Amino acid sequence: MSAQPDIVLARNPARHTAPTVLQVTQLNKFYGSLQALRDVSFDVCRGEVVALLGASGCGKSTLLNIAAGLDAFDTGTLEIEGLAAAQFKQWHKLAYMFQEDRLLPWRTVHENVEFGLEAQSLSRRERRERAERALRTVGLAEFAQSWPHQLSGGMRSRVALARSLVVEPSILLMDEPFSKLDPHTRSQMHQELLRIQAESGATVLFVTHDVEEAVVLANRIVLLEPRPGRVKEIVEVPLARPRLPTDKDTAELTRQLRLKVTP
Amino acid sequence: MSQTKTHTVWRLLGQRFVLAAIFIALWAFAASRMPAFVLPGPLKVWEAMQALVVKPTFLHDIGITMYRVVMGFLLATVIGTPLGLALGSNRTLAGFFEPLLSVTNTVSSAIWAVFAIIWFGISNATTIFVVFMTAMPLILTNVWQGSQNVDKQHVDLARSFRMSRAQILRKIYLPTILPYFFSGARLAFGFGWRVSLVAETLGSSDGIGYRLRQAADLVQTDQVFVWTLTLVLLMLALEGGLLKPMERRLFRWKPI
Repeated sequence: MSAQPDIVLARNPARHTAPTVLQVTQLNKFYGSLQALRDVSFDVCRGEVVALLGASGCGKSTLLNIAAGLDAFDTGTLEIEGLAAAQFKQWHKLAYMFQEDRLLPWRTVHENVEFGLEAQSLSRRERRERAERALRTVGLAEFAQSWPHQLSGGMRSRVALARSLVVEPSILLMDEPFSKLDPHTRSQMHQELLRIQAESGATVLFVTHDVEEAVVLANRIVLLEPRPGRVKEIVEVPLARPRLPTDKDTAELTRQLRLKVTP
Repeated sequence: MSQTKTHTVWRLLGQRFVLAAIFIALWAFAASRMPAFVLPGPLKVWEAMQALVVKPTFLHDIGITMYRVVMGFLLATVIGTPLGLALGSNRTLAGFFEPLLSVTNTVSSAIWAVFAIIWFGISNATTIFVVFMTAMPLILTNVWQGSQNVDKQHVDLARSFRMSRAQILRKIYLPTILPYFFSGARLAFGFGWRVSLVAETLGSSDGIGYRLRQAADLVQTDQVFVWTLTLVLLMLALEGGLLKPMERRLFRWKPI
């Protein structure tokens, strides 16, 4: 029995047993003479949900862009599935979800989801079937033929999620994906994301400045400090799921972390 | 819902009918007080129209004018679109060539027609050239403007899916530019029609513009009216039968 018997501890199933999917070692990044990232190191194991948490200006998004292969870095190494980023070829197994939904207004919901597959050479039929499946997963099958402007913010966010899921990613990278939603829709999307993640076993690395979001979603939190961006601490979140922001343990961990984020 | 819609359609038709009636009445009244070679009455024009429509040259003249306008317009599209894309994607290039565009925009179509006659003589090329010189800057400017409005976020999205440059051009740039291109093309087509007549009065031996000048030279005022009427009807048919439905289909994704 521990000293705090009412805190329910869950084991992080991904850690220690699963292979490392993403490994960042001693990464440095400069914009001109300005250092954006200094000696950043962390890793993400298969099936894990990891949060990059920090105030603005600590290079969270830059770090995510580097991990997505969309941005270059100066020194250090980035390994994806055991391969150096330069050797890694299966970029289509990596999905990137932006802060905004970025739906293309001239495409229907279904066509927007298919967009995720159009860089790959798939048959028209397979594209259609996979897009339908992804839309069913996020519960929007009946809106397939709607236009984006006809949807609410939460629905648009689901379409964007479906567009990321349609590539059946082994790694899902997310840049504050739900930050523009109202709190209710947002926590719905959190549950949705965790359900889908549990079903697909995908690895999720996401950026947030919201401590509560990090605690609710992540197995581990990489806490970053600003100017230049660097790792302050890596925190395990041993709480059982589902976690509600109103739960005692979740609220307590959120409070403790909040003290660390804003000095 | 659909009942109020039919209602609006009927009211609109009624309004149009009344407007046409007022116009014809005023026309008939004015014509009755003037000699026919100055202002022929509606009845006289109607008779002249019936006589003209059965002539074998009627369809030929319309066809040849149409051909010249469409050719000039297509050339303007084929050349103006890539140029507009190039200027839109390169700021330095755009800054360098911008004055040239202002110059072409200030040169009147009549001047192009004079040049065209010097260069091409009495031929199809004269009219095609004038239509081209009028339409091309319009299409170029609109495509250019459109390519400046491409959302960087959409390009980044395509990049995150590892799309090639050609794919980004086709899937992001073209759909963004299309509405701009379309409004430019409409403008260009409308202007092209008008200037084609100017060119034809000067440098051709058939076509609607040529017939208009012929009628004017022979003081056949009723013929001038008939050709004008034909033109207006053609433009209305093109607008309602082709351009409007096309626009509705292409841009059905837009709100409202």
